[in-house]
Amino acid sequence: MATINEISKDDLNWQIQYDSSKCTLCGRCVAACSFNAIKVDVEKRRKVVSIGDVPTPKVTTTTIPVIKQITRNALNCVGCGVCSRVCPNGAIKAVHEDESRFNIKYKCEHGDSIKRGGRSNLNTEGRTLDKIKIGRISQMTDPSLDAQRHTFDVLAPFGRIIPPQELPFEVSSDGDLKISKSMPPVNWIYPIIIGDMSIGALSTRMWEALAIATAYLNEVCGLKVRMCTGEGGIPTRLLKSRYLKYMILQIASGHFGWNRIINTMPEMTEDPGGILIKIGQGAKPGDGGLLMAKKVARHIQEIRGVPKADLLSPPNHQGLYSIEESVQKMFLSLNSAFKFRVPVAIKVAASVTSVSVYNNLLRDPYNIVGGFFLDGIQGGTGAAYEISLNHTGHPIVSRLRDCYLAAVHQGKQGQIPLWAGGGLGMRGALAADAFKMMCLGANGIFAGRLWLQAAGCLGNDSGKCNACNTGNCPAGITTQNPLLVARLDVDKVAENVVNYFLATHLELKKLMAPIGNSSLPIGRSDALVSVDKNIAERLGIQHVC
Amino acid sequence: MFVKDSKLEICNINSLENNKRLSTQELLQLIYQKIDEGYTQFKINACGQHNIGGPLWVKNKEAKLKFIVNNPGQRVGSMGMKGTSIIVEGSAPADVGWLNAGAEIIVKGDGGDTTGHCAASGKIFIGGRVGTRSGSLMKHDPKFDAPQLWVLKNTGSFSFEFMGGGIAVICGLDCENMDSVLGHRCCVGMVGGTIYVRGNISDISESCLIEDLNEYDISFLNNGIKEFLDKINKPEEYKKLSLWNEWKKIVAKPYSSSKKSDRISLKDFREKMWVQGGIFGDFYQDDLKVEEFITKGDKRLRIPYWNNNKLSAPCEFGCPIGIPTQKRINLIKQGKIKEAVDLIFDYSPFPASVCGEVCPQLCMDNCSRCFVDEHIKISDLAMMSRDVKFDKFKTDKKEKIAIVGSGVAGLSCAWILKQKGFNVEVFEEDTKIGGKLTQVIPNDRLTRQSLNADLNRIKNSGIKFNLNKKIKQNDFQELEKTFDAIVIAVGAHTPFVIPFEGHQRLIKGLDFLKTINRGEKFELGKKVVIIGAGNAAMDVIIGAYQMGACEVTAIDIQKPMAFEKEINHAQSLGAKILWPCYTDKITKEGVWLKDGTLIEADNVIISIGDRPNFDFIDRSYLNECNMIKINEFQQCENNNKVFAIGDSVKQGLFTNAIADGRKCAFNIINMFENLPLNKYEKRTKVSKEDIKPEYYATYSPLKVQNLPGYEEDKRCLSCATCRDCEFCLNACPTGAIEKFKNEKGETIYTSNIERCIGCGVCAGVCPCGIWTLQPNSLNFV
Repeated sequence: MATINEISKDDLNWQIQYDSSKCTLCGRCVAACSFNAIKVDVEKRRKVVSIGDVPTPKVTTTTIPVIKQITRNALNCVGCGVCSRVCPNGAIKAVHEDESRFNIKYKCEHGDSIKRGGRSNLNTEGRTLDKIKIGRISQMTDPSLDAQRHTFDVLAPFGRIIPPQELPFEVSSDGDLKISKSMPPVNWIYPIIIGDMSIGALSTRMWEALAIATAYLNEVCGLKVRMCTGEGGIPTRLLKSRYLKYMILQIASGHFGWNRIINTMPEMTEDPGGILIKIGQGAKPGDGGLLMAKKVARHIQEIRGVPKADLLSPPNHQGLYSIEESVQKMFLSLNSAFKFRVPVAIKVAASVTSVSVYNNLLRDPYNIVGGFFLDGIQGGTGAAYEISLNHTGHPIVSRLRDCYLAAVHQGKQGQIPLWAGGGLGMRGALAADAFKMMCLGANGIFAGRLWLQAAGCLGNDSGKCNACNTGNCPAGITTQNPLLVARLDVDKVAENVVNYFLATHLELKKLMAPIGNSSLPIGRSDALVSVDKNIAERLGIQHVC
Repeated sequence: MFVKDSKLEICNINSLENNKRLSTQELLQLIYQKIDEGYTQFKINACGQHNIGGPLWVKNKEAKLKFIVNNPGQRVGSMGMKGTSIIVEGSAPADVGWLNAGAEIIVKGDGGDTTGHCAASGKIFIGGRVGTRSGSLMKHDPKFDAPQLWVLKNTGSFSFEFMGGGIAVICGLDCENMDSVLGHRCCVGMVGGTIYVRGNISDISESCLIEDLNEYDISFLNNGIKEFLDKINKPEEYKKLSLWNEWKKIVAKPYSSSKKSDRISLKDFREKMWVQGGIFGDFYQDDLKVEEFITKGDKRLRIPYWNNNKLSAPCEFGCPIGIPTQKRINLIKQGKIKEAVDLIFDYSPFPASVCGEVCPQLCMDNCSRCFVDEHIKISDLAMMSRDVKFDKFKTDKKEKIAIVGSGVAGLSCAWILKQKGFNVEVFEEDTKIGGKLTQVIPNDRLTRQSLNADLNRIKNSGIKFNLNKKIKQNDFQELEKTFDAIVIAVGAHTPFVIPFEGHQRLIKGLDFLKTINRGEKFELGKKVVIIGAGNAAMDVIIGAYQMGACEVTAIDIQKPMAFEKEINHAQSLGAKILWPCYTDKITKEGVWLKDGTLIEADNVIISIGDRPNFDFIDRSYLNECNMIKINEFQQCENNNKVFAIGDSVKQGLFTNAIADGRKCAFNIINMFENLPLNKYEKRTKVSKEDIKPEYYATYSPLKVQNLPGYEEDKRCLSCATCRDCEFCLNACPTGAIEKFKNEKGETIYTSNIERCIGCGVCAGVCPCGIWTLQPNSLNFV
């Protein structure tokens, strides 16, 4: 029955290994599989045996129910592993086929490119940051600090910093120093921002859990953590609440949800914590936002103001043709949106042109550029063409370093805060990555996918799951299907995020203390060493062996 | 350098004489020497020398060492031991009593930074203030008395960092204007000990608790303050310092509560402090209940449905009439042989002649049994109905229907209407009923026995037949007036002829077949060419061989449209079928093709289809192609009570004609009953992958051959029709499936939503494709 061009199990990335001798047909694996990748079927077992002293054929035929992988390529196993989690007997698991032909088969079948979520799955080995150590330890010559018990100033600026010599001080008639002009707004916040992930990309529960964790970290733990909303609309209830001050509102090329933000302004009791203009993202630079129709549920349609369809945001902001125009239109408009009280920053994908862009912004004569966010190739995404995920982008480390040194060269470091992200924390040690990036010149960092992993994401960077785009997220994190969302525990997710932040906060101090910094070590590249000569040379840090 | 005071046995040391200062080492070594000589009391006029006072002891453990010191350097009394007392008359620089292990140290003035740092026993009394980080890392070894640090005024910042034990008393005298008598960021990392404080405290570490004094505290302080003030010679301050409500006590949080924080839980935070009802609450309903992977009821990812008889089996779907063979066989299985045999008459009056013989049996093309061995023996099954006879149907309806033409379409329509009790009158131009079935199908393909059985049954049904009655225009107008509905079923009896050169030589296939079927002889030569290779052309081939031809060739411009079965039959007689062949002309030599080839022929027969003849109806019934204009219900567009069916609408198979007749009959009834007309579309076909041939044993061809039709229930896979095997009932892992009989006595299976987890085991094991699994999320997203 089968022919060569039919998709068979052998062609797929993930293959179900099933042991019917262990299976009790309890049905749990099939009931729990959100991808509809397996089904119950029957198999015929025919045995011809000889019983006796001479050839005596006996045929026995049995038909037994089994679990089978569905091979239609629209319904693929993504290796999420839920089947093996729920199987009481260890009878089933998904195994990755490294040499799979799926990439070719899929394109031949559909004339379309593969889409997925996750991060670049190529070259995850040998991360630059893992080859850098903090090699300068304070002993004898300068005081080191006790990480657990000393007090540290762990705050980073979001907003335009005016250098001392340009501060508009004047002496008033009563002899006091006074500021004579209005100053650009600056919010001093925790140096780790919860990166921009939209409502729509995330489930309601996941997004709300992040918002709750953010509020909790501020109000209960005293960490001024900010969350960037992503651009997928923002619930009016949040806009009207006092928690708005912990939110950095995002505007991207789709401008989704901004009508509600604007219309809610008269009822806001707080200013937002900042505004982030998204120009590009590290996971798919040069490509726009993508939300597959399957995730555009009714509430998403409402909050975004769109019908059910694949939502593709353009790669560029329509109507921006030059950096001058970007500064004028986007920065000026969004600064004025909140009457110049709220700092406005910009996020771009790391690129070979990043330094030029940053240099341009540094000239900002209007003091309206409140931050430069650089996103590297290892950044995650909810949905992208795999070709973009795997083959476009720029690593973040050297580009961040270049931007910082460009500012140093002009004597303007710290004036437009540098924030870096893209795969930071992907090995689980966000504090180390953040610390190293700060030593290389970042004022702060942002991370996104890490929080999904904290929430229980089953995926990894070797292709496991990565199905955020399908709307079938087995963890209820990146789906709008209420049946799957129901798997996610809002309170537990919020708690995990809070705890990860507290652990990270402790770890950051554990790294600040040995180099004797009680404030963030921005630009302290003297503290870093690398055993990799190329990395050391490129970043201008000590090569050690 | 020193003077022995014999009376008091005090050793006086002046460390600076004649501008010569003893170094710290020289001074300390002098002290060691004098202790060895037996001195226990020292009066030292120091000059900033360090570490005066410890660790020192005398061999006689009862003896005490006493130092009165002026102008000491850092670490006075550091590492001091029990039995040592030190009095500093003025102030002392940093590290007074550092690592104090039991000495009593009195500083009448101020102490410097880190006073009492790491003190583990003994008492330190400071008559002024102390500097930064004082009291840090004080600790209490339970084998010794707890260390005490008494300060009359205040401390510098970062005091009592990492304090682990002991007692400190900060009296805050004359410090009323300070915001904190403990400086800033005091008590960071404090894990034990007690600090009594009088005065303001601010910026204290979160690792501590500030409490009011209890009775024990007051009694301790009351005694202690008196001693302290005596030591520093300021007893007059007692009154000021003994207002106990001005005092507080600082202790570390107990280990158990500092380890597990007393932070509010996230759940409480969400419920009490977060936006009430959630930020999405005004447009997205969510009870925030957390589900496990395995769910029941309306939380299941997928839901099974028992779709018995809702889908079409492949045989039913393949049959143009939609005869439900699976249902027929299921009746046999239930022992209802008569019902099974009679069932076909609800669909067709031609079980033997059409189903049993001439039909190409499209129903069997997709028979699921083919995946086991061979398809169901449909002919045998059909033949079981051949000899069924009915009583004349009663006529209990008033409406009259005229049917023009007694071919398969007309008779099928008449049969259904007659069954339903209508007055049905058939008008036939020929002498016999049956149309092409009678007129053109060779005996080879249709036995007279089957034909006559079916036709006689129809004739005896009560339908009124008018033979030899050709309907002309005025007749039709009369029918329009006198009948409630008229069905045009005149077939297609005008053969197509293409005007090739020499077309006059062509014999028309239809005429040829009709002649033979009348039993007449048709003279043919040895070589015959037939233009056309459809099913009718295959009949012509059979006829040609019957009439004595030896070499018959059928040609076509395209792939032959005839069914494989018909082609095989023709080829088995010796016929050649060639394509693509483009005829150029016909001559007495035969057929010349456009490429110049000659196919020799004594006779050339054309059989490329026939057209209907509508000269009996008004032009207004016809379209620009002279075909009758009808809608999708077989109803004429310009006259609602006139219907048209069969070859007169579109040339097709006998089964298409029967289907038309049946559909037309039901729509006529619908019209009479003022119901909407119906397209009678087929039901969706059951998916092949839902039928499980794996359950069935493969029979040998011989076994298949020997199995009579009425035992085909042994082989039928019962597609889309529940065979009531109870496999689902047994396989369901949660016992959700229930079986019962409804009020009609039919067996029904259901899945209990309280138990079902939506796993689809029922669907997976169902041999017949009855259980299907549908995504539940369609209701939401």
